[in-house]
Amino acid sequence: MSSQISRRHFLQSTAAIAGAIAYPNLAFAKGSVSSAIYPGAWDEAYRKIVAPALKKSAGVDLELQPLFAVDQIAKAKAARGRPVFDTFVLDPGPSATGKADNLFEKFDANQLKNASALQAGLVDAFGVPIAAQFVGIAYNPKKFSKPPTKWADLFQEPYLSRLGLTGFQTTFGTVAIIEFSKAFGGSITNVDPFFAELKKVLKKVAVIGAPAAMPGLFQQGQCDVMYTNTQTVGILKSRGVDIEFVAPESGIATFFTTMHIAKGSEDIANAYKYIDTVLSAEVQTQLMKPPYFMAPVNSKVALDDSLPVKNLSEMSKMIQHDWSKINPLRAEWITRFNKEVS
Amino acid sequence: MTLKLSLQARGWQLMLPLALAFLAFFVAPLMILFVVSGFEDDKITQVGLKTWVSFVSDPFYWVVTGNTLKLGVLTVLATLLIGYPLAVVYMRASPNVQKILILIIIMPMLLSVVVRTFAWIVILGREGVINQTLLSLGLTSTPLRLLQTELGLIISLTQIELPLMVLPLISVMSQIDPSVHDASSALGASRWRTFFKVTVPLSLPGLIAGCTLVFASSTTAFISQSVIGGNRLVYLPLVVWQQSLVVYNWPLASVAAVTLLVSVMGCIILLNLVGRKSMRYLNV
Repeated sequence: MSSQISRRHFLQSTAAIAGAIAYPNLAFAKGSVSSAIYPGAWDEAYRKIVAPALKKSAGVDLELQPLFAVDQIAKAKAARGRPVFDTFVLDPGPSATGKADNLFEKFDANQLKNASALQAGLVDAFGVPIAAQFVGIAYNPKKFSKPPTKWADLFQEPYLSRLGLTGFQTTFGTVAIIEFSKAFGGSITNVDPFFAELKKVLKKVAVIGAPAAMPGLFQQGQCDVMYTNTQTVGILKSRGVDIEFVAPESGIATFFTTMHIAKGSEDIANAYKYIDTVLSAEVQTQLMKPPYFMAPVNSKVALDDSLPVKNLSEMSKMIQHDWSKINPLRAEWITRFNKEVS
Repeated sequence: MTLKLSLQARGWQLMLPLALAFLAFFVAPLMILFVVSGFEDDKITQVGLKTWVSFVSDPFYWVVTGNTLKLGVLTVLATLLIGYPLAVVYMRASPNVQKILILIIIMPMLLSVVVRTFAWIVILGREGVINQTLLSLGLTSTPLRLLQTELGLIISLTQIELPLMVLPLISVMSQIDPSVHDASSALGASRWRTFFKVTVPLSLPGLIAGCTLVFASSTTAFISQSVIGGNRLVYLPLVVWQQSLVVYNWPLASVAAVTLLVSVMGCIILLNLVGRKSMRYLNV
């Protein structure tokens, strides 16, 4: 076979490239949208479920950039108005930072067909919730005769010497430590009691790890009790890890993962189509199932037994935190955590 | 002759693309880093030295900087302890054995740093290979805590960084004329005397290069430090990450980054000075 390119092939290729440049819509159907997404289960789920659904419903291609919430905000701040993706997916802490730093476009819920299926008051002027998260205690049922029932139990034996702790870097870590603090007399803005109690038991704590490493450390038996969300418990359980979720007596802490359109995005119409697809009952149902375990926000979805609520309206009775109070204190808490545990 | 002169005259033009890339992607970001460290607030609006003062006056950051450099020194010593004999064995091995050895030496470089690091969690964990072996041999009754300790981190970094020590050593040792060893023996020196008086001095350039690479790499090994060390061991790369990507205090992150850069470079310069003086002293 000749490896030389014939004149005919050259002209055909040139014409194809010129055509694609002149009529990009022909080449890329109805365009694309670029979205940041959490690495791991979220990235995998969105590639397998959301991308095909968006292509089918709107003819839009989905490009995903795996980034943690804090990395998304850092990238957007560094980009200074020239976003490297069209939509954010964030937890409340980074979301509050994004709002304060004017990183989001004004959000118009009227652009979403599925907005009416959300609980009242969930959509604000900057974004929309796309998943709920439930934070509580996870433990290995084979290692303890009875599960811990209170946050304070974790600082007592037999749990203490098998406890895995993580700091204030993540939303679930921050809300769990605030709940810990409340158990010892603190509040949303006062975590001193947590640090005072931690100091007494620090040497006995099995693991103080990076948040992303905690599931792996639990899986490896490095710790047998930790605070985490129902999604992590579901994922580990589906992999055969001995793990159960327990709701603390004081209540489950809950928050929403939200989507926002990046300020300066050039594909705003496609971004709305993408978010609408994520909110559709079909997609939310699939995302809720194993192996992804994402708690839905669409009230038309029949909730799975693995979730700690029977109805989404129960969430309003759970513990929620005001991140406008937390964010100004978080930097100091992170530094203090470093100093106390090292 | 004319062509050679012409090429020499145009040497700077040939260097231009690399020089421009170096300026744009290394010097300019570095300058930005230094400039940002000179701001007092996280919005980067007020110029001043408040961030530097708060960093320098906080004993915690001195301890973190000291621990970061200590980690580098201990990793260099551990890689040296294993790497130097390995390089000597390699030089004396047959070509077939050398092929096997070089594959073993460069193996850690063929794997992603994330995979290597997580593999060490499996090895060092409570139910990991080391603890299971010790328990089955009856050498310990309870699993040892190896993860989240400086010892565990140094063990893993030693394996990860070993190629950076061994490859420069092999490169330099392979250039040593074998006849100098023969001459040493012929003059009556024992094998150990030959080793310390001939092999070691002549391999000093490789030793310095290896130490420099391992030191720079281990002090900045963020993934290994945070995953294996956990939050109990705080090093400067973790401070840079937390301040830049979690709390968005870029001036403080820049101060920590500059401190890391300057302290690591200072140690490397010192190491090179000592190495050169030693070579001069030994007439290498």
